Amino acid sequence: MMRLGMTVLLGVLLTLAMPVWATTGTMLRDDPLRAFASATAPVLTQVARGTKVEVLGRQGGWTQVRVGGHTGWVRMLSVRTSETAQRDVGGELAGVIGMGTRQADPGRIVAVAGVRGLTLNEQQLQQARFNAQELERLERYAASRAEAQAFAREGGLNARAVDYIPAPAQARQQSSPWEETQW
Amino acid sequence: MVKKPLLIAVLAVVGLAHASDLNRTLRDLLFGRSPGQTQPAPTTMGSAPQQAPQSQQTTQTQTERRPRTAELLGGLLAVVGEPPYSPEEERNIGRTVAGGLLGVVPLVRDDELQRYVNRVGRWVALQSERPDLGWHFGVLDTEDINAFAMPGGYVFVTKGLYRQLNSEAELAGVLGHEIGHVIRKHHLRMLQKSRALAELGAAAGRRMEGSSPIAANFMGNFWEAFARGLDKEAEYEADRIGMVLAARAGYDAYGLPTVLQAIGHVSANDSRVAFLFKTHPHPDDRLATLSEAVGSRFDDLPEGKTLSNRFYRLR
Repeated sequence: MMRLGMTVLLGVLLTLAMPVWATTGTMLRDDPLRAFASATAPVLTQVARGTKVEVLGRQGGWTQVRVGGHTGWVRMLSVRTSETAQRDVGGELAGVIGMGTRQADPGRIVAVAGVRGLTLNEQQLQQARFNAQELERLERYAASRAEAQAFAREGGLNARAVDYIPAPAQARQQSSPWEETQW
Repeated sequence: MVKKPLLIAVLAVVGLAHASDLNRTLRDLLFGRSPGQTQPAPTTMGSAPQQAPQSQQTTQTQTERRPRTAELLGGLLAVVGEPPYSPEEERNIGRTVAGGLLGVVPLVRDDELQRYVNRVGRWVALQSERPDLGWHFGVLDTEDINAFAMPGGYVFVTKGLYRQLNSEAELAGVLGHEIGHVIRKHHLRMLQKSRALAELGAAAGRRMEGSSPIAANFMGNFWEAFARGLDKEAEYEADRIGMVLAARAGYDAYGLPTVLQAIGHVSANDSRVAFLFKTHPHPDDRLATLSEAVGSRFDDLPEGKTLSNRFYRLR
Protein backbone atom coordinates (compact mmCIF):
# COMPACT_ATOMS: atom_id res chain seq x y z
CA MET A 1 0.00 0.00 0.00
CA MET A 2 2.77 2.31 1.12
CA ARG A 3 4.80 1.21 -1.84
CA LEU A 4 1.99 1.82 -4.27
CA GLY A 5 1.55 5.29 -2.83
CA MET A 6 5.22 6.05 -3.31
CA THR A 7 5.14 4.79 -6.86
CA VAL A 8 2.15 6.94 -7.71
CA LEU A 9 3.68 9.98 -6.02
CA LEU A 10 6.97 9.47 -7.81
CA GLY A 11 5.12 8.97 -11.07
CA VAL A 12 3.26 12.23 -10.58
CA LEU A 13 6.44 14.08 -9.74
CA LEU A 14 8.23 12.72 -12.75
CA THR A 15 5.30 13.55 -15.00
CA LEU A 16 5.27 17.06 -13.61
CA ALA A 17 8.99 17.39 -14.00
CA MET A 18 9.39 15.85 -17.43
CA PRO A 19 7.81 18.49 -19.67
CA VAL A 20 10.15 21.18 -18.35
CA TRP A 21 13.22 19.02 -18.78
CA ALA A 22 15.29 20.15 -21.68
CA THR A 23 18.94 19.78 -22.38
CA THR A 24 21.01 22.75 -23.29
CA GLY A 25 24.54 22.56 -24.47
CA THR A 26 27.64 24.66 -24.88
CA MET A 27 29.94 24.36 -27.86
CA LEU A 28 33.39 23.17 -26.81
CA ARG A 29 34.88 24.19 -30.15
CA ASP A 30 33.97 25.89 -33.41
CA ASP A 31 32.01 23.51 -35.56
CA PRO A 32 29.89 23.72 -38.71
CA LEU A 33 26.17 23.08 -38.27
CA ARG A 34 25.19 20.51 -40.87
CA ALA A 35 21.84 19.70 -42.44
CA PHE A 36 22.02 16.04 -41.49
CA ALA A 37 24.21 13.74 -39.43
CA SER A 38 27.12 13.36 -41.79
CA ALA A 39 30.40 15.11 -42.51
CA THR A 40 29.30 15.35 -46.14
CA ALA A 41 26.03 17.13 -45.33
CA PRO A 42 25.66 20.77 -46.43
CA VAL A 43 26.79 23.34 -43.89
CA LEU A 44 23.96 25.56 -42.62
CA THR A 45 26.07 27.88 -40.52
CA GLN A 46 29.14 27.99 -38.31
CA VAL A 47 28.70 27.66 -34.56
CA ALA A 48 31.42 29.25 -32.48
CA ARG A 49 32.98 27.81 -29.36
CA GLY A 50 31.08 28.90 -26.25
CA THR A 51 27.75 29.26 -28.07
CA LYS A 52 24.74 27.99 -26.14
CA VAL A 53 22.64 25.50 -28.08
CA GLU A 54 19.50 23.51 -27.48
CA VAL A 55 20.19 19.79 -27.64
CA LEU A 56 17.53 17.77 -29.44
CA GLY A 57 19.03 14.34 -29.87
CA ARG A 58 21.95 12.20 -30.95
CA GLN A 59 22.74 9.90 -33.83
CA GLY A 60 26.08 8.12 -33.75
CA GLY A 61 28.80 10.75 -33.60
CA TRP A 62 26.36 13.59 -34.21
CA THR A 63 24.22 15.70 -31.93
CA GLN A 64 21.16 17.51 -33.22
CA VAL A 65 20.95 21.08 -31.95
CA ARG A 66 18.89 24.20 -32.41
CA VAL A 67 20.82 27.44 -32.50
CA GLY A 68 20.02 30.89 -33.81
CA GLY A 69 16.96 29.78 -35.74
CA HIS A 70 18.75 26.86 -37.38
CA THR A 71 18.26 23.20 -36.60
CA GLY A 72 21.05 20.89 -37.62
CA TRP A 73 23.83 18.59 -36.55
CA VAL A 74 27.21 19.17 -34.93
CA ARG A 75 29.81 16.64 -33.88
CA MET A 76 28.82 14.92 -30.66
CA LEU A 77 32.20 15.63 -29.14
CA SER A 78 31.99 19.33 -29.97
CA VAL A 79 29.15 20.04 -27.58
CA ARG A 80 28.96 19.67 -23.82
CA THR A 81 25.44 19.04 -22.61
CA SER A 82 24.24 20.57 -19.39
CA GLU A 83 21.18 20.54 -17.21
CA THR A 84 18.68 23.33 -17.19
CA ALA A 85 17.41 25.12 -14.09
CA GLN A 86 13.96 23.70 -14.64
CA ARG A 87 15.23 20.19 -14.45
CA ASP A 88 16.96 20.81 -11.13
CA VAL A 89 13.59 21.80 -9.71
CA GLY A 90 12.25 18.42 -10.71
CA GLY A 91 15.22 16.72 -9.10
CA GLU A 92 14.77 18.63 -5.87
CA LEU A 93 11.07 17.81 -5.75
CA ALA A 94 11.82 14.14 -6.14
CA GLY A 95 14.52 14.46 -3.51
CA VAL A 96 11.92 15.57 -0.95
CA ILE A 97 10.48 12.08 -0.89
CA GLY A 98 13.86 10.50 -0.44
CA MET A 99 14.61 9.75 -4.05
CA GLY A 100 17.13 11.61 -6.08
CA THR A 101 16.76 11.61 -9.81
CA ARG A 102 19.63 11.79 -12.19
CA GLN A 103 19.27 12.19 -15.85
CA ALA A 104 21.87 11.98 -18.52
CA ASP A 105 19.85 12.90 -21.58
CA PRO A 106 16.29 13.93 -22.27
CA GLY A 107 14.03 11.01 -21.58
CA ARG A 108 16.43 9.27 -19.30
CA ILE A 109 15.37 8.79 -15.74
CA VAL A 110 17.40 6.88 -13.26
CA ALA A 111 16.26 6.70 -9.68
CA VAL A 112 18.99 6.71 -7.11
CA ALA A 113 18.31 5.22 -3.71
CA GLY A 114 18.57 7.62 -0.83
CA VAL A 115 21.12 5.50 0.94
CA ARG A 116 24.54 6.21 -0.49
CA GLY A 117 26.22 3.21 1.04
CA LEU A 118 29.96 3.10 1.20
CA THR A 119 31.90 5.94 -0.28
CA LEU A 120 35.45 5.42 -1.25
CA ASN A 121 38.28 7.52 0.02
CA GLU A 122 41.96 7.13 0.57
CA GLN A 123 41.66 6.55 4.29
CA GLN A 124 39.33 3.60 3.75
CA LEU A 125 41.59 2.16 1.12
CA GLN A 126 44.61 2.52 3.39
CA GLN A 127 42.81 0.42 5.96
CA ALA A 128 41.69 -2.13 3.40
CA ARG A 129 41.87 -5.74 4.47
CA PHE A 130 42.43 -8.31 1.77
CA ASN A 131 39.15 -10.14 1.16
CA ALA A 132 40.07 -13.51 -0.33
CA GLN A 133 36.51 -14.78 -0.35
CA GLU A 134 35.20 -11.83 -2.34
CA LEU A 135 38.13 -12.11 -4.74
CA GLU A 136 37.29 -15.76 -5.37
CA ARG A 137 33.72 -14.76 -6.04
CA LEU A 138 34.94 -12.20 -8.58
CA GLU A 139 37.13 -14.75 -10.31
CA ARG A 140 34.27 -17.20 -10.65
CA TYR A 141 32.44 -14.76 -12.92
CA ALA A 142 35.22 -14.63 -15.52
CA ALA A 143 34.08 -15.10 -19.12
CA SER A 144 36.13 -17.29 -21.44
CA ARG A 145 37.16 -16.14 -24.91
CA ALA A 146 34.61 -18.49 -26.48
CA GLU A 147 31.86 -17.32 -24.16
CA ALA A 148 32.58 -13.67 -24.99
CA GLN A 149 32.58 -14.42 -28.71
CA ALA A 150 29.28 -16.26 -28.52
CA PHE A 151 27.84 -13.37 -26.52
CA ALA A 152 28.98 -10.93 -29.21
CA ARG A 153 27.41 -13.04 -31.96
CA GLU A 154 24.11 -13.12 -30.09
CA GLY A 155 24.13 -9.33 -30.02
CA GLY A 156 25.06 -9.08 -33.69
CA LEU A 157 28.39 -7.48 -32.81
CA ASN A 158 31.10 -7.80 -35.41
CA ALA A 159 34.73 -6.98 -34.68
CA ARG A 160 36.10 -4.27 -36.95
CA ALA A 161 39.42 -2.70 -37.73
CA VAL A 162 39.86 0.67 -36.05
CA ASP A 163 43.21 2.33 -35.44
CA TYR A 164 44.26 3.69 -32.10
CA ILE A 165 43.98 7.46 -31.91
CA PRO A 166 47.20 9.39 -31.28
CA ALA A 167 47.28 12.15 -28.70
CA PRO A 168 46.19 15.54 -30.05
CA ALA A 169 49.02 17.42 -31.74
CA GLN A 170 49.66 20.01 -29.04
CA ALA A 171 50.49 17.35 -26.47
CA ARG A 172 53.40 16.29 -28.65
CA GLN A 173 54.72 19.76 -29.36
CA GLN A 174 56.55 20.21 -26.10
CA SER A 175 60.19 21.08 -26.40
CA SER A 176 61.76 18.18 -24.61
CA PRO A 177 60.56 14.60 -24.55
CA TRP A 178 61.60 14.48 -20.90
CA GLU A 179 59.01 17.07 -20.01
CA GLU A 180 56.20 14.92 -21.23
CA THR A 181 57.28 11.87 -19.32
CA GLN A 182 54.26 11.01 -17.29
CA TRP A 183 55.67 8.20 -15.29
CA MET B 1 67.85 7.31 -1.88
CA VAL B 2 71.03 5.32 -2.20
CA LYS B 3 69.94 4.19 -5.62
CA LYS B 4 69.84 7.53 -7.31
CA PRO B 5 73.55 7.97 -8.10
CA LEU B 6 73.52 4.37 -9.27
CA LEU B 7 70.69 5.10 -11.67
CA ILE B 8 72.44 8.09 -13.08
CA ALA B 9 75.53 5.92 -13.54
CA VAL B 10 73.50 3.29 -15.34
CA LEU B 11 71.94 5.90 -17.57
CA ALA B 12 75.36 7.31 -18.32
CA VAL B 13 76.64 3.88 -19.29
CA VAL B 14 73.70 3.33 -21.57
CA GLY B 15 74.36 6.71 -23.08
CA LEU B 16 78.00 5.93 -23.78
CA ALA B 17 77.32 2.51 -25.16
CA HIS B 18 74.72 3.67 -27.61
CA ALA B 19 75.69 7.27 -28.04
CA SER B 20 74.77 7.29 -31.71
CA ASP B 21 71.20 6.23 -31.28
CA LEU B 22 70.58 7.35 -27.75
CA ASN B 23 67.90 9.70 -28.90
CA ARG B 24 65.97 7.00 -30.62
CA THR B 25 66.41 4.63 -27.71
CA LEU B 26 65.14 7.21 -25.25
CA ARG B 27 62.23 8.03 -27.48
CA ASP B 28 61.36 4.39 -27.81
CA LEU B 29 61.57 3.98 -24.07
CA LEU B 30 59.51 7.07 -23.45
CA PHE B 31 56.83 5.91 -25.79
CA GLY B 32 56.73 2.49 -24.31
CA ARG B 33 58.90 0.47 -26.64
CA SER B 34 61.76 -1.65 -25.48
CA PRO B 35 65.28 -0.52 -26.31
CA GLY B 36 65.98 -3.57 -28.46
CA GLN B 37 62.91 -3.24 -30.56
CA THR B 38 63.46 -1.46 -33.82
CA GLN B 39 60.36 -2.63 -35.65
CA PRO B 40 57.37 -0.37 -35.31
CA ALA B 41 54.53 -1.80 -33.29
CA PRO B 42 52.37 -4.11 -35.39
CA THR B 43 49.49 -2.28 -36.92
CA THR B 44 46.26 -4.14 -37.06
CA MET B 45 44.48 -1.58 -39.16
CA GLY B 46 45.36 0.55 -42.04
CA SER B 47 43.78 3.96 -42.29
CA ALA B 48 45.47 6.25 -39.78
CA PRO B 49 48.91 7.57 -40.64
CA GLN B 50 50.15 7.42 -37.11
CA GLN B 51 49.87 4.54 -34.74
CA ALA B 52 49.53 5.41 -31.10
CA PRO B 53 52.41 4.18 -28.99
CA GLN B 54 51.96 0.50 -28.37
CA SER B 55 52.87 -0.91 -25.08
CA GLN B 56 54.76 -4.03 -26.01
CA GLN B 57 54.63 -6.91 -23.68
CA THR B 58 58.34 -7.12 -23.36
CA THR B 59 58.12 -8.20 -19.77
CA GLN B 60 56.65 -11.49 -20.83
CA THR B 61 59.94 -12.58 -22.20
CA GLN B 62 61.87 -11.51 -19.14
CA THR B 63 61.08 -14.56 -17.14
CA GLU B 64 64.56 -15.31 -15.87
CA ARG B 65 66.61 -12.63 -14.24
CA ARG B 66 69.33 -12.52 -11.71
CA PRO B 67 68.34 -10.26 -8.81
CA ARG B 68 71.19 -7.85 -9.39
CA THR B 69 70.32 -7.42 -13.06
CA ALA B 70 66.68 -7.17 -12.22
CA GLU B 71 67.37 -4.45 -9.73
CA LEU B 72 69.47 -2.45 -12.16
CA LEU B 73 67.05 -2.98 -14.98
CA GLY B 74 64.16 -2.10 -12.73
CA GLY B 75 65.86 1.07 -11.65
CA LEU B 76 66.67 2.10 -15.18
CA LEU B 77 63.24 1.36 -16.53
CA ALA B 78 61.69 3.11 -13.56
CA VAL B 79 63.18 6.29 -14.91
CA VAL B 80 62.46 5.88 -18.57
CA GLY B 81 60.00 3.25 -19.62
CA GLU B 82 58.54 -0.18 -19.52
CA PRO B 83 57.54 -1.44 -16.08
CA PRO B 84 59.84 -4.35 -15.21
CA TYR B 85 57.22 -6.76 -13.99
CA SER B 86 56.63 -10.22 -15.37
CA PRO B 87 53.03 -11.09 -16.22
CA GLU B 88 52.95 -13.16 -13.05
CA GLU B 89 54.15 -10.28 -10.92
CA GLU B 90 51.64 -8.03 -12.59
CA ARG B 91 48.85 -10.49 -11.86
CA ASN B 92 49.95 -10.83 -8.23
CA ILE B 93 49.96 -7.08 -7.81
CA GLY B 94 46.51 -6.92 -9.39
CA ARG B 95 45.11 -9.68 -7.18
CA THR B 96 46.51 -8.08 -4.07
CA VAL B 97 45.05 -4.69 -4.87
CA ALA B 98 41.73 -6.09 -6.11
CA GLY B 99 41.41 -8.16 -2.93
CA GLY B 100 42.09 -5.02 -0.92
CA LEU B 101 39.49 -3.00 -2.76
CA LEU B 102 36.98 -5.82 -2.26
CA GLY B 103 37.84 -5.64 1.44
CA VAL B 104 36.47 -2.10 1.42
CA VAL B 105 33.53 -2.56 -0.95
CA PRO B 106 31.99 -5.93 -1.78
CA LEU B 107 30.54 -6.97 -5.12
CA VAL B 108 26.88 -6.38 -5.87
CA ARG B 109 25.06 -9.62 -5.02
CA ASP B 110 23.66 -10.19 -8.49
CA ASP B 111 25.21 -13.09 -10.39
CA GLU B 112 23.47 -12.20 -13.63
CA LEU B 113 24.81 -8.64 -13.52
CA GLN B 114 28.36 -9.78 -12.77
CA ARG B 115 28.33 -12.37 -15.54
CA TYR B 116 26.91 -9.85 -17.98
CA VAL B 117 29.64 -7.32 -17.20
CA ASN B 118 32.29 -10.01 -17.61
CA ARG B 119 30.99 -10.97 -21.05
CA VAL B 120 30.90 -7.39 -22.29
CA GLY B 121 34.29 -6.68 -20.73
CA ARG B 122 35.98 -9.75 -22.12
CA TRP B 123 34.62 -9.08 -25.61
CA VAL B 124 36.00 -5.54 -25.48
CA ALA B 125 39.32 -6.74 -24.04
CA LEU B 126 39.58 -9.27 -26.89
CA GLN B 127 39.95 -6.28 -29.22
CA SER B 128 43.11 -5.17 -27.38
CA GLU B 129 46.71 -6.33 -27.71
CA ARG B 130 46.37 -8.25 -24.44
CA PRO B 131 43.31 -10.37 -25.24
CA ASP B 132 44.19 -13.26 -22.98
CA LEU B 133 45.29 -11.49 -19.84
CA GLY B 134 43.36 -12.83 -16.85
CA TRP B 135 40.49 -10.38 -17.33
CA HIS B 136 38.07 -10.00 -14.45
CA PHE B 137 35.26 -7.49 -14.23
CA GLY B 138 33.12 -6.66 -11.23
CA VAL B 139 30.41 -4.24 -10.13
CA LEU B 140 31.08 -2.83 -6.67
CA ASP B 141 28.26 -2.27 -4.23
CA THR B 142 28.59 1.47 -3.66
CA GLU B 143 26.68 4.51 -4.87
CA ASP B 144 29.99 6.24 -5.53
CA ILE B 145 30.38 7.01 -9.23
CA ASN B 146 33.69 5.57 -10.35
CA ALA B 147 35.54 2.79 -12.14
CA PHE B 148 38.90 1.26 -11.38
CA ALA B 149 41.54 -0.71 -13.20
CA MET B 150 44.17 -2.80 -11.50
CA PRO B 151 47.26 -4.29 -13.07
CA GLY B 152 46.80 -7.79 -14.44
CA GLY B 153 43.29 -7.21 -15.80
CA TYR B 154 41.12 -6.55 -12.73
CA VAL B 155 38.49 -3.97 -13.64
CA PHE B 156 35.70 -2.58 -11.48
CA VAL B 157 32.79 -0.24 -12.01
CA THR B 158 30.66 0.97 -9.13
CA LYS B 159 26.93 0.50 -8.92
CA GLY B 160 26.66 4.30 -8.86
CA LEU B 161 28.37 4.55 -12.23
CA TYR B 162 26.42 1.60 -13.61
CA ARG B 163 23.20 3.49 -12.82
CA GLN B 164 24.35 6.28 -15.12
CA LEU B 165 24.56 3.87 -18.05
CA ASN B 166 21.79 3.29 -20.55
CA SER B 167 23.21 0.91 -23.09
CA GLU B 168 25.70 -1.88 -23.56
CA ALA B 169 27.76 0.44 -25.75
CA GLU B 170 28.14 2.87 -22.85
CA LEU B 171 29.24 0.04 -20.58
CA ALA B 172 31.66 -1.11 -23.28
CA GLY B 173 33.13 2.39 -23.48
CA VAL B 174 33.63 2.63 -19.73
CA LEU B 175 35.21 -0.83 -19.57
CA GLY B 176 37.30 0.05 -22.62
CA HIS B 177 38.70 3.06 -20.77
CA GLU B 178 39.72 0.87 -17.83
CA ILE B 179 41.11 -1.82 -20.16
CA GLY B 180 43.17 1.00 -21.67
CA HIS B 181 44.79 1.67 -18.29
CA VAL B 182 45.63 -2.01 -17.97
CA ILE B 183 47.08 -2.59 -21.45
CA ARG B 184 49.20 0.57 -21.25
CA LYS B 185 50.24 -0.36 -17.70
CA HIS B 186 49.42 3.07 -16.38
CA HIS B 187 49.30 2.01 -12.74
CA LEU B 188 52.53 0.07 -12.94
CA ARG B 189 54.19 3.13 -14.44
CA MET B 190 52.74 5.29 -11.72
CA LEU B 191 54.07 2.89 -9.12
CA GLN B 192 57.51 3.20 -10.57
CA LYS B 193 57.37 6.89 -9.95
CA SER B 194 56.34 6.41 -6.37
CA ARG B 195 58.50 5.23 -3.55
CA ALA B 196 56.85 1.85 -3.72
CA LEU B 197 59.61 0.77 -6.04
CA ALA B 198 61.98 -0.33 -3.32
CA GLU B 199 59.40 -2.48 -1.61
CA LEU B 200 58.23 -3.93 -4.86
CA GLY B 201 61.75 -4.93 -5.72
CA ALA B 202 61.90 -6.85 -2.47
CA ALA B 203 58.52 -8.39 -3.06
CA ALA B 204 59.18 -9.42 -6.65
CA GLY B 205 58.86 -13.11 -7.20
CA ARG B 206 57.26 -13.67 -3.83
CA ARG B 207 53.63 -14.45 -3.69
CA MET B 208 51.94 -11.56 -1.99
CA GLU B 209 49.08 -12.20 0.36
CA GLY B 210 47.23 -9.62 2.36
CA SER B 211 48.80 -10.56 5.62
CA SER B 212 52.49 -10.17 4.86
CA PRO B 213 54.18 -6.95 5.95
CA ILE B 214 55.59 -6.43 2.47
CA ALA B 215 52.15 -6.68 0.96
CA ALA B 216 50.72 -4.35 3.60
CA ASN B 217 53.43 -1.84 2.90
CA PHE B 218 52.93 -2.20 -0.81
CA MET B 219 49.20 -1.73 -0.45
CA GLY B 220 49.75 1.44 1.54
CA ASN B 221 51.93 2.83 -1.19
CA PHE B 222 49.59 1.71 -3.90
CA TRP B 223 46.55 3.32 -2.32
CA GLU B 224 48.45 6.49 -1.68
CA ALA B 225 49.34 6.69 -5.35
CA PHE B 226 45.87 5.47 -6.30
CA ALA B 227 44.19 8.24 -4.30
CA ARG B 228 46.44 10.79 -5.96
CA GLY B 229 45.23 9.55 -9.34
CA LEU B 230 46.98 8.88 -12.58
CA ASP B 231 48.54 11.58 -14.69
CA LYS B 232 45.82 13.33 -16.67
CA GLU B 233 47.52 12.38 -19.94
CA ALA B 234 47.04 8.74 -18.93
CA GLU B 235 43.33 9.43 -18.46
CA TYR B 236 43.06 11.09 -21.84
CA GLU B 237 44.88 8.17 -23.44
CA ALA B 238 42.50 5.71 -21.75
CA ASP B 239 39.55 7.75 -23.07
CA ARG B 240 40.87 7.43 -26.63
CA ILE B 241 41.46 3.70 -26.16
CA GLY B 242 37.98 3.27 -24.65
CA MET B 243 36.37 4.70 -27.76
CA VAL B 244 38.55 2.67 -30.10
CA LEU B 245 38.09 -0.66 -28.32
CA ALA B 246 34.32 -0.19 -28.15
CA ALA B 247 34.30 0.64 -31.87
CA ARG B 248 36.45 -2.40 -32.67
CA ALA B 249 34.03 -4.55 -30.68
CA GLY B 250 31.22 -3.40 -32.98
CA TYR B 251 29.64 -0.96 -30.54
CA ASP B 252 28.72 2.67 -31.00
CA ALA B 253 32.05 4.42 -30.43
CA TYR B 254 30.34 7.29 -28.62
CA GLY B 255 29.24 5.32 -25.57
CA LEU B 256 32.11 6.58 -23.42
CA PRO B 257 31.64 10.27 -24.25
CA THR B 258 27.91 9.85 -23.58
CA VAL B 259 28.79 8.63 -20.10
CA LEU B 260 31.22 11.53 -19.66
CA GLN B 261 28.40 13.90 -20.54
CA ALA B 262 26.18 12.24 -17.93
CA ILE B 263 28.86 12.38 -15.24
CA GLY B 264 29.43 16.03 -16.11
CA HIS B 265 25.84 16.68 -15.06
CA VAL B 266 26.44 15.49 -11.53
CA SER B 267 27.23 18.40 -9.26
CA ALA B 268 30.86 18.64 -8.28
CA ASN B 269 29.64 18.99 -4.69
CA ASP B 270 27.93 15.62 -4.83
CA SER B 271 29.84 13.23 -2.56
CA ARG B 272 29.34 10.41 -5.06
CA VAL B 273 31.79 11.99 -7.47
CA ALA B 274 34.26 13.38 -4.92
CA PHE B 275 36.84 10.63 -5.41
CA LEU B 276 36.33 10.51 -9.18
CA PHE B 277 36.78 14.26 -9.62
CA LYS B 278 39.78 14.24 -7.31
CA THR B 279 41.55 11.63 -9.42
CA HIS B 280 40.39 12.50 -12.94
CA PRO B 281 40.29 15.62 -15.09
CA HIS B 282 36.81 17.16 -15.22
CA PRO B 283 34.53 15.46 -17.78
CA ASP B 284 34.39 18.72 -19.77
CA ASP B 285 38.16 18.67 -20.22
CA ARG B 286 38.05 15.00 -21.11
CA LEU B 287 35.38 15.64 -23.75
CA ALA B 288 37.23 18.61 -25.19
CA THR B 289 40.46 16.61 -25.37
CA LEU B 290 38.70 13.64 -26.95
CA SER B 291 37.08 15.96 -29.44
CA GLU B 292 40.43 17.31 -30.50
CA ALA B 293 41.96 13.84 -30.77
CA VAL B 294 39.08 12.24 -32.66
CA GLY B 295 38.42 15.08 -35.10
CA SER B 296 37.04 13.57 -38.30
CA ARG B 297 38.64 10.16 -37.76
CA PHE B 298 35.43 8.25 -37.20
CA ASP B 299 33.50 9.96 -40.00
CA ASP B 300 33.67 6.93 -42.25
CA LEU B 301 33.17 4.42 -39.49
CA PRO B 302 29.75 2.77 -39.81
CA GLU B 303 27.60 3.45 -36.79
CA GLY B 304 28.02 0.67 -34.27
CA LYS B 305 25.43 -0.95 -32.08
CA THR B 306 24.22 0.56 -28.81
CA LEU B 307 22.37 -2.60 -27.70
CA SER B 308 20.32 -0.68 -25.18
CA ASN B 309 17.72 -3.43 -25.40
CA ARG B 310 20.20 -6.02 -24.13
CA PHE B 311 21.64 -3.76 -21.45
CA TYR B 312 21.23 -5.41 -18.06
CA ARG B 313 19.19 -3.13 -15.79
CA LEU B 314 19.91 -3.16 -12.08
CA ARG B 315 17.25 -4.79 -10.01
